[in-house]
Amino acid sequence: MYLSKRKLTPDFVKKAAVVSTVFLVVVFAAIFAAFWSIQVVQNEKYRQLAIRNITRTVELRAPRGMIVDRSGAVIAENKINFTLFLVRENMEDPEKTVTRASFFSGKPVDEVRDIIAKFKKYASFYRIPIKSNLPLGTVIFIQSRQDEFPEFEIDMEPSRTYPQAEVAAHVLGQISEVSEVELDAGPPGAYSLGDFIGRSGIEKQYETFLKGTKGSQTVIKNSVEKIQEISGRVNPEIGDTVVLTLDLGLQKYIEELLVGESGAVGVMDLKTGGILAMVSRPAFDPEIFAREMEHEEWLAISSDPGKPLQDKFLQGIYSPGSVFKIVMALAGLQEKVITPSTAVSCSGSQMFYDRVFHCWNLGGHGTMSLFSALENSCNIFFYNLGRKMDIDTISRYARLLGLGSVSGIDLPNEKAGLVPSSAWKMETYRQRWFPGETISVAIGHGSLNVTPAQLLKMIATVALRGRMPLPHVLQRIEKQGRTVREFAPEFVRVPIAEENFELVIEGLFRVVNGAGTGRAARVEGLDICGKTGTGQIIAKDNPRYKLLTRDKKFMPNSWFVSFAPRNNPRLAVVVLVENGGDAGAIAAPLAGQIYRKYFENEGLR
Amino acid sequence: MKDYVRFFDKFTFALLLLLVLAGIFLIYSAGHSTQETNHLKQAAWLGVSLLAFFVVFSLKLDSIFRKSFAVYIVLLVILALQLVVGGTVARTKSWFRLWGIGFQFSEFVKVPLALYLARLLTQFEMIDGKVFMKLLAVILVPVILIVLQPDMGVSFILCSFIPMVILLKKVRPAVLAVSLLLVVLGGFAGWHSVLKPYQKDRIVSFLNPSEYKASTGYHVIQSRIAIGSGGLNGKGYLQGSQSRYQFLPARHTDFIVSVIGEEFGFVFISALFFVFFLIFYRQFHFNFQNDEEFYFVYLFNGLIVFQFLVNVLMAIGFFPVLGVSLPFVSYGGSSLLSFFIGEAIIFRVKINNYLA
Repeated sequence: MYLSKRKLTPDFVKKAAVVSTVFLVVVFAAIFAAFWSIQVVQNEKYRQLAIRNITRTVELRAPRGMIVDRSGAVIAENKINFTLFLVRENMEDPEKTVTRASFFSGKPVDEVRDIIAKFKKYASFYRIPIKSNLPLGTVIFIQSRQDEFPEFEIDMEPSRTYPQAEVAAHVLGQISEVSEVELDAGPPGAYSLGDFIGRSGIEKQYETFLKGTKGSQTVIKNSVEKIQEISGRVNPEIGDTVVLTLDLGLQKYIEELLVGESGAVGVMDLKTGGILAMVSRPAFDPEIFAREMEHEEWLAISSDPGKPLQDKFLQGIYSPGSVFKIVMALAGLQEKVITPSTAVSCSGSQMFYDRVFHCWNLGGHGTMSLFSALENSCNIFFYNLGRKMDIDTISRYARLLGLGSVSGIDLPNEKAGLVPSSAWKMETYRQRWFPGETISVAIGHGSLNVTPAQLLKMIATVALRGRMPLPHVLQRIEKQGRTVREFAPEFVRVPIAEENFELVIEGLFRVVNGAGTGRAARVEGLDICGKTGTGQIIAKDNPRYKLLTRDKKFMPNSWFVSFAPRNNPRLAVVVLVENGGDAGAIAAPLAGQIYRKYFENEGLR
Repeated sequence: MKDYVRFFDKFTFALLLLLVLAGIFLIYSAGHSTQETNHLKQAAWLGVSLLAFFVVFSLKLDSIFRKSFAVYIVLLVILALQLVVGGTVARTKSWFRLWGIGFQFSEFVKVPLALYLARLLTQFEMIDGKVFMKLLAVILVPVILIVLQPDMGVSFILCSFIPMVILLKKVRPAVLAVSLLLVVLGGFAGWHSVLKPYQKDRIVSFLNPSEYKASTGYHVIQSRIAIGSGGLNGKGYLQGSQSRYQFLPARHTDFIVSVIGEEFGFVFISALFFVFFLIFYRQFHFNFQNDEEFYFVYLFNGLIVFQFLVNVLMAIGFFPVLGVSLPFVSYGGSSLLSFFIGEAIIFRVKINNYLA
């Protein structure tokens, strides 16, 4: 009965065995091939995918280096602020996320959308900074409900702060977020969206030192984004400390002197060429650029007629007025056109090339020599000197003394000004130079244009009897307390005889200490030498001159360039008060106060 | 008794044990990150399974075949009862708790159904329409009960009996045509109800996996990444990041192949597949005392091969994710027990053949 159940032929059983074997062989061969392809041939691809699955590397922004004055007083540092980040890959509902981000940041929905769109090229786990300086209340709100808002992260980030607010704003400059265009143009990896970069001033000049080195943190996350471990962390390195030559006390003092005024002041240490104070008024608080600026703030600052964003010391272009007589005197002496005994009679006006030129003293100064002409700033004397020299000679000496080109200070965006010459005129106006124009240039008018920085360099060269200093604001750069770069003072010899400088300095001494135009700058016990200058905004022979100059904006700019003491000079000071009017009454006394303050502090009278 | 020891297929048995022990080892790896103790439970299940193996092995084959219908009916009743008062594990009613142990009764349908089908197949010469309807009913009643639980995996595996009975018997051409038509229709329906959303998911999730973490497509991608990243030699035991950081779903059950591929690489997994191949080959190749035995061996072995293929192909994304485990290796006591009972019968058939 057991065997009766057997109906299958041995052939069928055999056939079944063969078919099943063939089937197994084919199927297993296919499986081996498939696994070979995935595991061996495509191994690298899947290995990368596996790594990408679990690792998330985020950049850690480095704090910018500090900026301190010569004694270590902090002018720029960092504060820690809470920044709200958005991680796209953790979004559940993009619309909801945008709404939340807008609510947390106080930014309009469209702005949030724009920010997110900007980062579309970045990996989906990149932390998009939505808002910095998040209020503590918001921080607590989000962190206590982190489970509800998995797409948001809050982290502490360094942000730039300027504890002295407006003080030395133009020296420090501005920082702002790097733009997409710059990122595309620059070397890859140097900056990422959301990073800040120096735009002007020291912040720009020493960006490479200040920016520091970014850190990174790699975390291993599991499939539900729970951090499993931190697999690698490179701490960010703070940028180097930039030590400036500035004397913060003096800087503040001068800024307070100029409150309400528009103008510029530069103070140079003549031993080194280092700038002790560099003031441009009105100023701004650089911190508003380092954070997200309110629209009103931008409107206020950009529409201010005083142009607070312009650094008047380096970028302001002015007519030097009578200050230029220093250059004329040096040129005349060196070219032997005049000697200290050359006498000129001033009757208040004189005719040159069929045109009447006036002295500022319409009653006339009488007989003027080099010394008295400088002391009284007599125009007639210098008109005559100008007539005896040609414009190209004057131009050459002006250039020798640093006019017409940037001072070379270690700050960006400096203006060069203009020293006219016959070649310049031909090139610019396709006209030959008229001798009459030389007469105007001789007293610092005409097309001549200078910056306060250039005049500071010029007067410093005079003070040092022809040793031209290179102005600078950097003292040294320190990395973790170690000096990595130090400024070595540089002086260039100007090819003008020292005795000629001595002669001019005698005149400049009389300006302050005689009955001269700069006597308001006099400081008891200090041999200050200087020269006033009144840079006309409108020509003095304009028939409406008297009427127009009642309006402040047409009043001439008031200059005082100076140094002290006369022998072994230590300090050079340039003061410019825009629309200040009479230089002797406005700029000179300010300079006097600066000397008084400096030498009082130094204890060396 | 001496002969029983002598002619027992010790080699194949050792291979089976090897698979289960490797499985326990892998289950430990898969559950390591979440500190699970499944490997201990699996070891206990192995003990139970071995006991059952020798009990069944010692039974008379004839009586096993004779009682298969009764066991089949009892199981149908249990499955039906489960639908009404079943325990709930992972939102399905396929689990039954007994003395604190979870049983998945659907797994226990495999052996009795194969036995009963084998017995049925001896009772006619050819599959005509009437016979085909009967066979279909015998297979589909438990399949439907299991689908309702729902346990897609086991019910799908049981469906493999349908083509197998057709292959094992002479079939009237009309029946073949009708069944082929049914397959086409079933496939068409399946394409629109099952495959389409899955494929859609798969395509979309390939583009942006992180946004589709819940979809099966995502699981398939993660499984492929796990296997692919394992390379030739693997990342090392307990070192698979895909497994450790829970990117793989059902690591100790349905996606255990992914754990193996990631941690041990191509060489090891090929060796493992070769063990499977040897087992399959050896369990198909021997003579039979009667037709019942032949049908049973082919049906049951065929079922294991089918389940193996579905599981492996699913892990590399060549087959939809249906919740099918890797025979002998994946965690699952009921499945292991069921397979060892079936194997016991095959071993007994084999030894009877030697001793006859």
